Amino acid sequence: MITRTELMLINNSLALMSLLQLASSTLPVGAYSYSEGLEYLTQTGAIRDRDSLCHWLEQELSYGAIRLEAGVMVRAYQTSDLDTIHAWNRWLSAAKETAELRQQSWQMGYALVRLCQTLQPTSLVNQCEAPCNFAIAFSLAAAHWQIPLEATILGYLHSWASNLISAGVKLIPLGQTAGQQLLLHLQPQLSQVSQEILTLEDDQLHSFGWGLALASMAHETQYTRLFRS
Amino acid sequence: MTGLGWQGFAKLVFAQGDALRDGKAERATKPLIIQAQAPLKVQRSFYPEGPEVCHTTILHTAGGMVGGDRLSIDIQAQANTKVLLTTAAASKIYGSYGQSQVYPQGQLAQQQIQIKLEAGAYLEWLPQEMIVFDGAIYRQDLRVDLAPTACWLGWEITRFGRTARGERFLSGEWRSQTEVWQQGHPVWIDRQSLNGGTAMLDSPHGLAGQPVVASLIWLGQAVDQAQIDQARQLWLASSPQGEAGVTELELGLLCRYRGPSSQEAQQWFVQVWRILRQVYWQRSVVLPRVWPL
Repeated sequence: MITRTELMLINNSLALMSLLQLASSTLPVGAYSYSEGLEYLTQTGAIRDRDSLCHWLEQELSYGAIRLEAGVMVRAYQTSDLDTIHAWNRWLSAAKETAELRQQSWQMGYALVRLCQTLQPTSLVNQCEAPCNFAIAFSLAAAHWQIPLEATILGYLHSWASNLISAGVKLIPLGQTAGQQLLLHLQPQLSQVSQEILTLEDDQLHSFGWGLALASMAHETQYTRLFRS
Repeated sequence: MTGLGWQGFAKLVFAQGDALRDGKAERATKPLIIQAQAPLKVQRSFYPEGPEVCHTTILHTAGGMVGGDRLSIDIQAQANTKVLLTTAAASKIYGSYGQSQVYPQGQLAQQQIQIKLEAGAYLEWLPQEMIVFDGAIYRQDLRVDLAPTACWLGWEITRFGRTARGERFLSGEWRSQTEVWQQGHPVWIDRQSLNGGTAMLDSPHGLAGQPVVASLIWLGQAVDQAQIDQARQLWLASSPQGEAGVTELELGLLCRYRGPSSQEAQQWFVQVWRILRQVYWQRSVVLPRVWPL
């Protein structure tokens, strides 16, 4: 006989494990092959050490495209209406500032949708029209696994930060410990930003990231590239 | 004291007609409806490149926008028309924050621009630089609706602070939303927002200490890699002071600039505009005569 408390605990631990799986760097969507402009920024010296990488990530979380993307995830999570999901998916594609950032989002989205055909055969994510943005696919997969919304956003932003720190560790380069210190240092902001994002009105979905757009455009013609964005 | 400033509007509708040139009937774009309410004024259209392309200039007769002003511009280009729109001078958005005892927090100056392009229409929206004074509180909403075969080229050149006198954008708020939709679906969403006096001014992620940002957007017709490469080469060949980039959009092309000089941005944009016009419309560029270039 399972008590109500135990059921909640089981539910919570299931949700936690599902989130760990979805937000894991081992999720086979190829996140490690994208640097979102960092490859260019480290070449020019705009990002050269732990502090300048930290500043970049903090600015992106406060004002950048990642915030807008997470805001759209909230909207996809909260509906089961396919037309609404498709409308936000297209909106997000139209808001991608550069070809590389758009391709990254579509390719990672495609990989996650493919994976979910097996892991979540009854999930809405399988009905997302192609090209499905990664943030939308992540959001629908999280909703299917009943991961609470705030934890979904937090997990998404944390895996985003973790991936870019890992790119920074390779590119700058930084020590692994410095990378982990930075991820730990970002915790309060990640937590604060994911709460703010839950309260954004549609009209508050805006950003200011000229540095990211220019770096991403410049990366398209960078001479040697390890990363795809 | 109502707190309301100018409530100006302009409505421009362009239609296709015929014009006689050398005894032959030619396709022409004609202004069908031109209405304007102060402080906006629309100058008489002119045809420096023949009857097919109608050049029209919008004028702000009060010099600039102050808090409480609301301007609304509604433009419609009917099927197969070709229109070039520009402004007679740089736009100015005056400081509002801390300027008035009645409204110490300042008041919003707002501009809404709606552009509807019918099938086969081509419209160029080429306003001169906008100068956002320190303390300005401004919001612009530009929305373009494209019919399936319509095409739009637009640019925005924005300077934060009157840099000639050493002014920076240390207070105030700026928002600029450009959205392009086609058959009810968004094809370009660009929602920009800058808060005066924040780390965004100096961060490499934001303005990197530069006062000018500019975008050129071409939408409605996918471009070839050759045009993207050309736009990049033209930039590099100009020995630039600022930074710029070019990328492909789902149905077009985007150029971004960040740097010290609105003139540098505009000169490069004119070169890119020249290529796009040549390749897709087999037309050379005729610069509007109101430009100081």
